[in-house]
Amino acid sequence: MASTASEPLQGTRRAGSPPAPRWLVAGSALVALLFATPLAYLVVRGAAEGGTLRAAWASGGTLAPLARTLLLGVAVAAAAAVLGTTLAWLVARTDLPGRRVVGLLLPLPLVMPSFIAAFALLAAFAPGGLLAGLLATLGVERLPAFDGFWGALYVLTLFTYPYVYLPVAARLGQLPASLEESARLLGRGPGGAFRTVVLPQTAPAVWAGTLLVFLYTISDFGAVQLLRYQTLTTSIYAARVFDRTGALAQSLLLGVLALAVVAAERRVTRGRRPARLGPPGGRRLRVPLGRWKAPAVALVAGVAGLALLAPVGVLVFWAVRGTLAGSSRAGALVGDVGALAGPALNTAALAVAAALAALLAVLPVAYLTTRHASRLAGLANAVVVGGFALPGLVVALALTFWTLQAPGPVALLYQTQALLVFAYVVHFGSQALRAAQVAVAAVPARLDDAARTLGAGRLRRLLTVELPLARGGLLAGGGLVLLSTMKELPATLLLAPPGLETLATKIWNATEDAFLADASLAALLLLLLSGLLTWLLVARRGDAPG
Amino acid sequence: MTRRTAALALTLLLTLALAGCSRSRDALTIYSGRTQNLVGPLLERFNQETGIAIDVKYGDSAELALLLAEEGERSPADVFLSQSPGATGFLAGKGLLGQLDGRLLDKVDPRFRNRGGRWVGLSARQRVLVYNTAMVAERDLPDSVLDLTGPRFAGKVAVAPSNGSFQDFVTAMRQLKGDDAAARWLRDMARNRPRTYANNNAIVEAVGRGEIPMGLVNHYYNYRFQKENPATPSRNHYFHGGDVGALVIPSTASVLAGSDQADEAARFVEFLLSPEAQRYFSDQTFEYPLVPGIPAAEGLPPLGSVESPSYDVDDLGGGLERTVELIRSSGFNGV
Repeated sequence: MASTASEPLQGTRRAGSPPAPRWLVAGSALVALLFATPLAYLVVRGAAEGGTLRAAWASGGTLAPLARTLLLGVAVAAAAAVLGTTLAWLVARTDLPGRRVVGLLLPLPLVMPSFIAAFALLAAFAPGGLLAGLLATLGVERLPAFDGFWGALYVLTLFTYPYVYLPVAARLGQLPASLEESARLLGRGPGGAFRTVVLPQTAPAVWAGTLLVFLYTISDFGAVQLLRYQTLTTSIYAARVFDRTGALAQSLLLGVLALAVVAAERRVTRGRRPARLGPPGGRRLRVPLGRWKAPAVALVAGVAGLALLAPVGVLVFWAVRGTLAGSSRAGALVGDVGALAGPALNTAALAVAAALAALLAVLPVAYLTTRHASRLAGLANAVVVGGFALPGLVVALALTFWTLQAPGPVALLYQTQALLVFAYVVHFGSQALRAAQVAVAAVPARLDDAARTLGAGRLRRLLTVELPLARGGLLAGGGLVLLSTMKELPATLLLAPPGLETLATKIWNATEDAFLADASLAALLLLLLSGLLTWLLVARRGDAPG
Repeated sequence: MTRRTAALALTLLLTLALAGCSRSRDALTIYSGRTQNLVGPLLERFNQETGIAIDVKYGDSAELALLLAEEGERSPADVFLSQSPGATGFLAGKGLLGQLDGRLLDKVDPRFRNRGGRWVGLSARQRVLVYNTAMVAERDLPDSVLDLTGPRFAGKVAVAPSNGSFQDFVTAMRQLKGDDAAARWLRDMARNRPRTYANNNAIVEAVGRGEIPMGLVNHYYNYRFQKENPATPSRNHYFHGGDVGALVIPSTASVLAGSDQADEAARFVEFLLSPEAQRYFSDQTFEYPLVPGIPAAEGLPPLGSVESPSYDVDDLGGGLERTVELIRSSGFNGV
């Protein structure tokens, strides 16, 4: 998506970008600087290591995990792109039965922390698991192995497709119906209209989501570790204390890989930005699925079943079993679910704060990259987006380093909610930026020009013309940050003020000790809360006609 | 408009909720690598008894050690509780841990405290071989952990090579048998097609399901899974005769060198070594209490009768760095 305004783009912006206002440049530079803190930390630490670092790279021990990381990243990204786009189109554009409920359910797999989701799915699908017990009564003796590359591909695709689904659904919500109607009038079937009209129009959103899936996958640790697939992150984990040079070398490699992929994506998608035709909003097209209805319902049911019902089913099973058995242990959640109220409130508060702060932080960069192409814009884009690929542990240690190194008042921020929210923004800001870029790019420049001609100032144009039009996309971006923050664990454990508990830390605590019932109760509440917040802040408002 | 007002009100409410939980100033700050389920009730008890306020940060022992190393002298932490001596030794090596009072150290057996006085053991876990009773007959279990490299056990053993306890076990083997013997065992083991897992929990879960017949873990994980589901067909097999496979690993307590509340911190460590706290470890966590005179949990062989080899992290050249290097070069997956 990309975002150079120097390309001649009919209806969006004339050739040649106007020079960016100074405040926009300054704001973007500041944001880029803040987002660069984790990478800068790795570079500072790496510089101190010097030769040993080169030796760690040269040893070849990093090559195999790097290759496996790339393989999994590309495979999951491709699978999630296809799945997410198809689901978004089915929900936003067709007469799929129950699409309102489905639209609310489909983003939810994103909120399952991968360490508990993978654990639950293993318990369900792995040999000897709960499902195997069920199937054995039906005569099915052996299930395929559920681990390694295929296991990781399966689990990660099911838990990341919402990165594609959400922005694409938001884009489709804005797209005027006229184009597709024309295609249909010209005799194209639903598939034809999808290929010739919908796909080109949603391409930027698809690319944006796919990149996020790739970055998430290469940075994931919880799922690949449990599914026994070795990547750079599992190598970093194994080396983190007693081979810090090795861990550093591989973290830097992960960061460089992310920056390279972000830059490459920017090149590939350059010039693919679609023209915005017709006024925004208006009536939306519903394609009758006809004979495709049954397969479509089967697909949606299959995804919902595997990504939501299966893990939720296991969690409910554990929770019920534990609650029926009871517990005499002090502090056991099965006897006292009310103890989760505080952590739930903290989780919601941190997530909403992080989502708002992230949107605010990335807006200048989104404007700079979409309206005023420059080297700074490219750099800011790479730094903000690439930061997603660094593990939460690295982000937390980096912010610890910088905060405590900083003079006077900054050090007071250490282990406060403010710094924790900042960590979330740095870690997940990429998700808001990609959505914001798509949204801002979709605002027709002609409207902006018209407002300017009428004498509206920059701020007024922003508030009255551009932001309302970009709202759907911005909310989707905020929603992604919200959901990611709610399940974040490594940075939360290290950076939260002592005593501050979230649902994710509760789940982790219980999982560590194999208190499965407790972990399940907290995980189910997390899921419920995410669904509620998504509906309240994103789905319901995003749905309103623009 | 009302919707916007509602969203605004929600945001305000949440902001207030966040601002509400601010840090208490002069509280004793504890970084705990032991989970809240385990030590939370003890912290409350200490607070009730002494009136000393406590701020606690729970996390993974190794990651908290990394955080403490990054914080250095500016760390707000006063006390560090760790799952294993490995992460503690890492901090001791950086000079970040203070000297504990001899009175505290003397409460436990010398093999469960640091000779330099930087940490004292609180409770202990024993290394065991957990096995699936439907897949392995008792008479087919090995006498020594060293036997697991034999063809009889090819493809049948689960290990967690990136786990701290496994690393401690290898460190002990290096000390007792020498680096060459340890390296040979690791190499032979890696060639015997073991299945590598993320951690002890994952191994016990997989053994319970019957995915793999047996695995090397700490003793208490199986008790936890049994409690959650008594029908699980997994049992612990204890090695005898001072076998290195029967290693007993202490969890540790340390006071940070930079603590500004060293007295309160020492009082807290003393409390953890009190009969009340030790009995709690024994009753609630299935771990061995380390202060003599406190009985182990029901069903556990008493620690006095356990012939565990003794080892000392401090004695090893290269420490855990060398252990991790050996494990990695032996060809195990996942390291």
